Amino acid sequence: MASRYDRAITVFSPDGHLFQVEYAQEAVKKGSTAVGIRGTNIVVLGVEKKSVAKLQDERTVRKICALDDHVCMAFAGLTADARVVINRARVECQSHKLTVEDPVTVEYITRFIATLKQKYTQSNGRRPFGISALIVGFDDDGIPRLYQTDPSGTYHAWKANAIGRSAKTVREFLEKNYTEDAIANDSEAIKLAIRALLEVVQSGGKNIELAIIRRNQPLKMFSAKEIELQVNEIEKEKEEAEKKKSKKTT
Amino acid sequence: MAATFFGEVVRTPCRAGTEDEEEQEEGRRETPEDKEVRRQLARKREVRLFRRQTKTTLEVSLLEKHPCSKFIIAIGNNAVAFLSSFVMNSGAWEEVGCAKLWNEWCRTTDTAHLSPAEAFCVFYHLKSNPSVFGSCPRKNMQVTILTCRHVTDYKTSESTSSLHTPFLKALKTQNFKEPPFCSLLEQPNIVHDLPAAVLSYCQVWRIPAVLYLCYTDVMKLDLITVEAFKPVLSSRSLKCLVKNIPQSTEILKKLMTANEIQSNIYT
Repeated sequence: MASRYDRAITVFSPDGHLFQVEYAQEAVKKGSTAVGIRGTNIVVLGVEKKSVAKLQDERTVRKICALDDHVCMAFAGLTADARVVINRARVECQSHKLTVEDPVTVEYITRFIATLKQKYTQSNGRRPFGISALIVGFDDDGIPRLYQTDPSGTYHAWKANAIGRSAKTVREFLEKNYTEDAIANDSEAIKLAIRALLEVVQSGGKNIELAIIRRNQPLKMFSAKEIELQVNEIEKEKEEAEKKKSKKTT
Repeated sequence: MAATFFGEVVRTPCRAGTEDEEEQEEGRRETPEDKEVRRQLARKREVRLFRRQTKTTLEVSLLEKHPCSKFIIAIGNNAVAFLSSFVMNSGAWEEVGCAKLWNEWCRTTDTAHLSPAEAFCVFYHLKSNPSVFGSCPRKNMQVTILTCRHVTDYKTSESTSSLHTPFLKALKTQNFKEPPFCSLLEQPNIVHDLPAAVLSYCQVWRIPAVLYLCYTDVMKLDLITVEAFKPVLSSRSLKCLVKNIPQSTEILKKLMTANEIQSNIYT
């Protein structure tokens, strides 16, 4: 039944599915994992870095991109689609700033991206964008925001979320471990993001990329050394927790 | 007969039969050329057994000489990676022979030099216990089949987003008495291709056999999918064959990095 209703994007199936949109969501699962966490004074984006070919310039393979000084996003899915969406969003951010003399709010730019994606689910001859995005930033009021969009053009605000391969496993980890204590300070929020990624990243800390935005500060990308430090700290804490547990049982 | 938009007249198939049946009969008769093409295709499609190291052909009777108590077959790259790292890594396995075949769906026209990625099957037996292999059905033989399938093929009334992939499902023959290590595959899901053929063969010949099917959303080589097969390590067939699980996990990780395909389409 699916094959008769999945060729043209504008056709609903008898039970109300838009198969092309659902297939686009499958394309998102082929991208590596990205996780976003909204702390009290910080927003964190962590991604699983894809291994780069020997002759490839690592700088050109980026999953975390700045849309403006105070907003950045991570995506999962088709690289080329992401590039198009990011370019349009960046232009919109500057156009908004020039027209209204105010930087965009995180919600505004998320809505723009989501509307763009939705248009492609309702035109004939076009396919939906095969990406989901996590958009983070601070508004002028100083409140941290995290939004997630998907190929259907829906967007929602989240406290913490994951997209891409094994997103479900990471989301379950976050549901168990996202507590007020866990995001009480910046370093705890960063550790939570790394711990969530370590659940699914295949080769540990060297395949993780992290970016943070603090209130009134620009985007900061963590270097490989800084991430390694964090991973080592997390492993120490894990060992100590296990030692305590084994002491308690004996 | 029917007329198309472009003004051509085409012959349409008709179940009722037509008066032109005789004409159709003539058309259906094979010319010697057709027969020759068919004969050459049949020769290309023959299954060949040979030894990879010496490239000499293997007689089927030679394989049948090896008695067998456990036959384990892994189909697909994740199942093969699981077997290579967890089972074949413990103990010395000797390659006995391999089978290759070609058909019209293969992407290459070269039937002589098929790569292991295309229609290849390698047979190994455990040096220390040669009864763990064989092709001839035998009493007390137990067959284990491991394979993967994409989760979108799994039919269920639940929403697919609520499924916890990867997950294992089992299907067994009537003679298989051991309880499987996961729930049985529910209707209307079916098994396809080679695993289905092996399981049907075992059911017909009353050989105890179990198929473990892993539904995953990552069909290429993936650590989490391969690790989903771990419960199978406690089965009677595999328990005695697996020695060092942490070492096997390390070998699996190396296999992953060695086989990583560089693709820039998805990030």
